[in-house]
Amino acid sequence: MSTTAILARQSRWSTFRKETLRAVTAIAVALLVTIIVVLLTSKAPLEALNTLLTAPASKPRTIGLWFDDVAKLTVTGLAFSLVFQARQFALGVQGQIYVGALASSYVALSPIGPTFAAIPLGIAAAMLAGAAWGFIPGLAKAKLGANEIVSSLMLNYIAIELCNFLVRVQLRERPGVLTSLKFPDAAVFSPLIPGTRIDLGLILALVATVLVWFALYRTSWGLKLRLVGHNARFAEYAGIKSSLIMVSAMTAAGALGGMLGAMFVQGQTYGKITVLFEGGLAFEGILVAIVARSRPLAVPVVAIFYGYLRQGAQLMNIRTDVPAEVIGVVTAIIILLVSSSFSVPGKKWLSAQFGRRAQPAGLSADGAAK
Amino acid sequence: MIELFATIMSSAFFVTVIRTTTPLLLATLGGLIADLSGALNVALEGQMLVGCLTAVIVSVYAPWYVAVLAGLAAGAVLGLVMAIFALRLKADIILVGFAINIMAAGGTVFALAMATGGDKGTSINLASKAIPPVDLSFLGVIPGIGPLLVSLLSGHSVLSWVAAFLVFAIWYFLYRMPWGLWLRGVGEYPAAPEAAGIPVNAVRAWSLVVSGALAGLGGAQLAMFNYVGFARDMTAGRGFIALGAVLLGARHPVGALLAALLFGAFEGLAVVMPGLFADAPAELVRMIPFVVTILALMLFSYRAQRALKLRGVKTA
Repeated sequence: MSTTAILARQSRWSTFRKETLRAVTAIAVALLVTIIVVLLTSKAPLEALNTLLTAPASKPRTIGLWFDDVAKLTVTGLAFSLVFQARQFALGVQGQIYVGALASSYVALSPIGPTFAAIPLGIAAAMLAGAAWGFIPGLAKAKLGANEIVSSLMLNYIAIELCNFLVRVQLRERPGVLTSLKFPDAAVFSPLIPGTRIDLGLILALVATVLVWFALYRTSWGLKLRLVGHNARFAEYAGIKSSLIMVSAMTAAGALGGMLGAMFVQGQTYGKITVLFEGGLAFEGILVAIVARSRPLAVPVVAIFYGYLRQGAQLMNIRTDVPAEVIGVVTAIIILLVSSSFSVPGKKWLSAQFGRRAQPAGLSADGAAK
Repeated sequence: MIELFATIMSSAFFVTVIRTTTPLLLATLGGLIADLSGALNVALEGQMLVGCLTAVIVSVYAPWYVAVLAGLAAGAVLGLVMAIFALRLKADIILVGFAINIMAAGGTVFALAMATGGDKGTSINLASKAIPPVDLSFLGVIPGIGPLLVSLLSGHSVLSWVAAFLVFAIWYFLYRMPWGLWLRGVGEYPAAPEAAGIPVNAVRAWSLVVSGALAGLGGAQLAMFNYVGFARDMTAGRGFIALGAVLLGARHPVGALLAALLFGAFEGLAVVMPGLFADAPAELVRMIPFVVTILALMLFSYRAQRALKLRGVKTA
């Protein structure tokens, strides 16, 4: 093996160690904050903390809930990773979920619904709808220079209202009910492990992870995308059409978001469409992508940890007096800590003890997500 | 259709539009200041929401003006948090802004549950106060136009007048005072003010604090005048619409006023239309401001890009 290869491997290993350390520290700090908040506000803090930390893994059913979340968090994390790697702040995953879910619901409730084609066609329709929803802000940015943050956020609200409207007027089970009919059995992902919510969604999430990794790190499109993300002007000088890459990244991320919509409504959790089914999960993909530094292969790992915390908070909400919304505060703290160049408290002292020089803060901050 | 037209031309609709515009205008002005200093404040939404909740909770225990100031202060504190993380700790400002939005969405519901002992969603059990309307009925003695003036100008929130004054004040600050020049310089080309000895980061930090304060003030108006009380996610995207309004208003205070009025008018329409047409789908009417924002943003960006091309500047 040549020296450069060894050096590359060493630097990759040290980067890995550094990033892991940062992520773990951030999660530890966030946990500490949660514990303090629970201790301050709950009447039965120990019970609440016990639920938060142990409940998700306690029963097959809760493990199922946990991994259902992991699958969904992985996909939204991947969608954000893709656009973040191209350094686009398109935040439209939420809207893509809603339009994707609508598309797959129309397939599932059509005459195709009871046939074997319902699942593949439903997913395909959802991905197409999501891709279109991701394409609009991409095109608007590339052709007109319209700020993609604002346009993608506006599209989120439009998609939510569209879903509210179509469910209330067309897809409803009967007037006055804000859910659709149950989808035919053939249109719902069957559980992989009976009695849990673990279904095709988890497989889709893993396949998507590998595909996104392959696309980003083993194709010329991915190389161009990462180049555009690092330095759009350099990429332009190198002859890369950065606007084309930008639009295609947003469209591909949109397709992932749309697929997540199908995973929601065709999965075991719902098996039908209802208003506001997504419950704010989409934006938690920002956290997953940032902690994973937009690396596709790290996304599922982060999703497993974060999904556990999320599920613990939900169970704590049901069983004790601490509202699940506390997780929002924790999420925010993790994002703030990981995206900033905070240094581990006492790191200087530690490295002095071990005779190594401390890394100046700020140098270690250039991750792919930045 | 005639009824709709008659409603829109009525002075009651004008009052509605002013009411719906005020929180948006305050947030837009906040967004404008941050944007001109070169820091996109995507946290307007969260700052408004926290402003709403703070104002509602404080108003239970204190007079309305203290509550309004508390809402303003809450927004300012979040602005300061943004400044610390984005400028000192070098986090990406958009991620910081989004972290604040996420924290606000969850944290307000959590804090409300703690403050009310379990209510999640609305502050219906809190006796919160409202901002008093400004009574200008003495204008009625003016012969001829008196009654019209009263119907148009009387009954607005104090903050509506404050917002109108702020448009002028911010214009004066930005274009007639040295500090305004600093701020615009920092946003335009930070290296130049840096070389001239202007503390770039301090200017940006102050802009973020003021920006958050204005958004918090908008939140106070929303929760103490437009609605009295807090409901989860009651800002419903207004902070993001304000971001669009900044761009649509050509990054100028007067433009911000016009853009906020446009969005306020559409929101006002969404308020009155269900009353006029029984079968008007409320969801589609609520969609209007968002569709208008996107279309306006595209149109404006297109014009700005073409203007740059005409001047021979190549866009990156």
